[in-house]
Amino acid sequence: MNKVSFGDTVRRAEDHRFLTGKGNYIDDITMPGQAHGVVVRSPYAHARINGFDADAARRAPGVLLVVTGADWAAQGFGPIPTKSAVKENRDGTPIAVPDRPCLAHDRVRYVGEGVAFIVAETRDQARDAAELLDVDYAPMDAVTHPVKALEPGAPQLHDGIADNLCVDWELGDAEATEAAMRAADRIVRLELHNNRVTGAPIEPRGAIASYDAGTDSYLMYQATQNIHANRNTTAEILGIEADKIRHVGPDVGGGFGAKNSVYPEPALVLHAAKTLNRPVKWVNDRAESFLSDTHGRSQYSTVELGVDDDGTFRALRTTTVGELGAYCGTVGAFTPTGGSARTQGGPYGFEAMYYSARAGFTNTAPLDPYRGAGRPEGSFQIERIVEKAARELGIDPVELRRKNLIPKERLPLKTAMGLDVDCGDFPTVFEQALAMTDRVGFQARKAASEAAGKRLGFAIAPYLECTGGMPKEHAVVTFTADGSAHLAVGSQSTGMGHETALPQILAATLGLDMARIGFTQADTDATPLGGGHGGSRGMEMGGNAVLQTAGEIIEKGRAIAAHLFETDVDKIDFEDGSFFEKDTNHIASMTEIIAASFDPERLPDGMEPGSLNTGSTFERGIISIPNGCHAAEVEVDPDTGAIAVTGFWVVDDFGTIINPMLADGQVMGGVGQGLGQALMENAVYDEASGQLVTGSLIDYALPRADDMPPMTLEYYEGAPTKKNPLGVKGAGEAGCCGAPPAIVNAVLDALDGLGVTHIEMPLTPEAVWRAIDAAGS
Amino acid sequence: MPSISMTVNGQAVTGEVEGRTLLVEFLRDTLGLTGTHVGCDTSQCGACVIHLDGVSVKSCAVLALNADGAEVLTIEGVADGDDLHPMQEAFREHHGLQCGFCTPGMVLTALALVADNPDPTDAEVRHGLEGNLCRCTGYQNIVHAILDGAKRMRG
Amino acid sequence: MHDFNFIQPKSAAAAADALAGAEDGQYMAGGQTLIPVLKQRLAMPTDVVDLSAIPGLAGIEVSGGAVRVGAMTTHAAVAASGAVRDAVPALAHLAGLIGDPHVRNRGTLGGSIANNDPAADYPAAVLGLGATVVTESREIAADDFFTDLFETALDDGELVTRVDFPVPDAAAYVKFPNPASRYAIVGVFVSRAGGAVRVAVTGAGPCVFRQAEMEAALSAEFSAEAIAGVAIAADDLNNDLHASAEYRAHLVGVMARRAVAEIA
Repeated sequence: MNKVSFGDTVRRAEDHRFLTGKGNYIDDITMPGQAHGVVVRSPYAHARINGFDADAARRAPGVLLVVTGADWAAQGFGPIPTKSAVKENRDGTPIAVPDRPCLAHDRVRYVGEGVAFIVAETRDQARDAAELLDVDYAPMDAVTHPVKALEPGAPQLHDGIADNLCVDWELGDAEATEAAMRAADRIVRLELHNNRVTGAPIEPRGAIASYDAGTDSYLMYQATQNIHANRNTTAEILGIEADKIRHVGPDVGGGFGAKNSVYPEPALVLHAAKTLNRPVKWVNDRAESFLSDTHGRSQYSTVELGVDDDGTFRALRTTTVGELGAYCGTVGAFTPTGGSARTQGGPYGFEAMYYSARAGFTNTAPLDPYRGAGRPEGSFQIERIVEKAARELGIDPVELRRKNLIPKERLPLKTAMGLDVDCGDFPTVFEQALAMTDRVGFQARKAASEAAGKRLGFAIAPYLECTGGMPKEHAVVTFTADGSAHLAVGSQSTGMGHETALPQILAATLGLDMARIGFTQADTDATPLGGGHGGSRGMEMGGNAVLQTAGEIIEKGRAIAAHLFETDVDKIDFEDGSFFEKDTNHIASMTEIIAASFDPERLPDGMEPGSLNTGSTFERGIISIPNGCHAAEVEVDPDTGAIAVTGFWVVDDFGTIINPMLADGQVMGGVGQGLGQALMENAVYDEASGQLVTGSLIDYALPRADDMPPMTLEYYEGAPTKKNPLGVKGAGEAGCCGAPPAIVNAVLDALDGLGVTHIEMPLTPEAVWRAIDAAGS
Repeated sequence: MPSISMTVNGQAVTGEVEGRTLLVEFLRDTLGLTGTHVGCDTSQCGACVIHLDGVSVKSCAVLALNADGAEVLTIEGVADGDDLHPMQEAFREHHGLQCGFCTPGMVLTALALVADNPDPTDAEVRHGLEGNLCRCTGYQNIVHAILDGAKRMRG
Repeated sequence: MHDFNFIQPKSAAAAADALAGAEDGQYMAGGQTLIPVLKQRLAMPTDVVDLSAIPGLAGIEVSGGAVRVGAMTTHAAVAASGAVRDAVPALAHLAGLIGDPHVRNRGTLGGSIANNDPAADYPAAVLGLGATVVTESREIAADDFFTDLFETALDDGELVTRVDFPVPDAAAYVKFPNPASRYAIVGVFVSRAGGAVRVAVTGAGPCVFRQAEMEAALSAEFSAEAIAGVAIAADDLNNDLHASAEYRAHLVGVMARRAVAEIA
């Protein structure tokens, strides 16, 4: 028996499949008779469409169907809705939400926007035909810069939406913040840019669907993070009942937010499958991924810190311009507003905080959550201004942070941004991280580095997060008489290892053999609802749904045990996988109770065979507050500006750790993406043409193995949250919150004395070289 | 259409291809060996790495016709039945994979690397992975897996 | 990618004939540049003439004071060659920096120099060592071979068969790679043979070039300090997403000094 507990490093059940080439990703799925769809995408950032001539494309070899934007519009399908939690501007008026069609028919607003869908016998034939589709474009002026888009005279994207403005929003007490600013000895000010990046999961997006005319229903597989929401929204677009679509997520090759959004293509695939009465498959290539996946971040902010000369923080004010891209994405306006505002100020104490944001439309791909979705932006803002304040005040940055961390005794508290911080120990986490970094040896390493013509730098960056994502999650456990179990959940792994961690929770709670627990995720037939993945919700939502379901199973098991022992339910205890009656030798293992649950002879009145099978919806209360501290050591080559991150240390407070190996994986992967954003990743649109100039992996740099530092990880496990029964806090996005400020501040520390006070991300070698050059001249 | 023959994972195979058919397309679409993945169109990501006549190549940058008569090893041919190869075992042990999409290319790259350098250093492994992108792991566990896999293979 | 006729001739002459007979023909050596270009439909030849079946085009021989590398020799073979490492370690080092291990197992010397990508590594070695490019009909001095952006002295259908690299007294190649593509943002190859010094720069301009001022200064005194004062004009250098012309100009100086320091 493979007995497991919470906190055990359990090796992954899914790995054998992935390691032997038996993973089942979207492009691996073949349906009999499948045809292949290709999206024809706009080459223009902004243009009027005067018409389509699809005759040649329709006549091309192998072509089965051409749906132009005009054809799509004629069908009367709905726009892609946005589900932003922020719906109103600061003055109470609704935010501006333009219609976003699945295929553009009269106007395109970004390079890569779909204008037609071509289905052919083979993918190559569909691509060949795409070149024959004649779209009559009349190019228009475009704007790709989020600040310039909001300026007077900018090209306008949407009729009826003034000044390209989607949302104008605020949080916090402006007056109290202003008063606290005035009362402070000084105000430290910094303008900074959080660079535009993209999730770039290595597997591109895709879908394959079939249609059954007899039942007027669909089966769709999609490389997505969020089956139920995608199914429901796609049904809404097409005007069909959601339950007519069975939506399944196969193995998904990474998501990071980019596969969370609702996209145009799945609706096109369903439509084509029904029209042709044949399965249709569509899979993006990498160039299309860059153009059409949602991008993330992209904020221009002014951060002001009111601070006394002794280093006491008084007030924080952040004024941000974000962007939506050409349309509102799935959560659209939320990321630069609520998503970025909630964790303002990090783990530090302030008398008052105020956050103000505007975000508008640009002729670029829509932006939506990317790993962290606003919290990395907030974390970067506070840690950069704190570093700058330390230098201006002449206080050691470590000391300044230490001085202002919220002490444990002040928890729980509600921050000035309204965030309920229930538990944690920020000073202890901070000291634990600092102790890992070998500060004593730093000076010797620095001297050695300088002897080699380099410059060494160090920075430490505490962060505060909030996680949970979609507020409901469902788990279903079904048993067979031989004692095996099957677990189905509505949460979804796109690589995080839920196929291991969630059965681990079930096995640990019920005392079952993990090897005898089957697992299904991401299937609308398997669970009535599900929140997929987003907001680091795997354990917080999926895990708690499993725990809650297990709890209900135990209650049923107690009733069965009481019946078997001929005693009262309240005399039955459950411990370590067994039910027993107090003060007797009556005992029955979970496996025995499962067997009994299928035997009408051994069931109490009112219980049917199989009634141990249980489905339960867990609904969370308030989102949890992960926190932690990252530290980085970097070496800068001042001659070239090249940066090597030479050391990286992390302490995270994720509450209860279910499987430390998987938690480590989340942290290190997040640090990798954080390092990428800090040092090399940048989605750049040419302002004149509106073209995405970083549209391939030749031009958009992803971190490689030799870009990454050795990482040392620890956890602080002294503060499991009471906000959820497992006591977990989300682990997935922390790396993206901690790594960028730790690395950027470490680089600035390395350049200390040269007069460089700020460099915008990504800190490319040229950016660093230019900063050194500019400071020296 | 031209016909080609090759040995894939020890099995003789034949199939018809176009001039433009890539080796990865032949493996995936004609032979149904979908463990070899396509993650990009510019030969950067390395998800399609296989062994061609004993050396690692990106099968998205080789024409199927160029593999006529060749000996090919894909991820499907690495394990011994259900028993994982020591390198695969090391990836599992060290959590050297998350979503698994880059993993076949990583494992085949690791095997090629270790064939050339049976006892590599951390830095040599990292350098040897310059043609393989992973977006999930931050690479550390992949590096640890390869170092351990090499050790297991040395015996 | 568009479909094309795939032709695999068994001799250089047959290859030239195949190309001549094609409506829009294209030689393919290792295909590591060409195939991605075809996939993106940036080139659509009617015929691809594959050179891999022509005997005698691959191989390494060190003789008569030269390293003779067949055009179809892979980067991996050059990087791993003990003979090359002994004779011109900088050449083996350079070959080991091209692309990645998988690309190096397919990509070839001939393909690289015939394509003459402005950021490719091999042109720096060919020019920096003063090599001779041998085709089936003639020998072309490196100084005459690389003519412009993606342009060479090769005639239509002319096939590189070999490159002869003279063995210098010392040489070094220092490269500042593009983090995404691994091509050179700037790469500088420096060689010294007797009193003659060559400094070849790739990545910085539209085509690999020699830096005459540095060569003169190093001929007088072979030290990094000797070229510290050489100002590199940014005027004609590449200015793109990956690096400005000014930064490239700066890097030419840094990479050159580092290459010289490796030798000196």
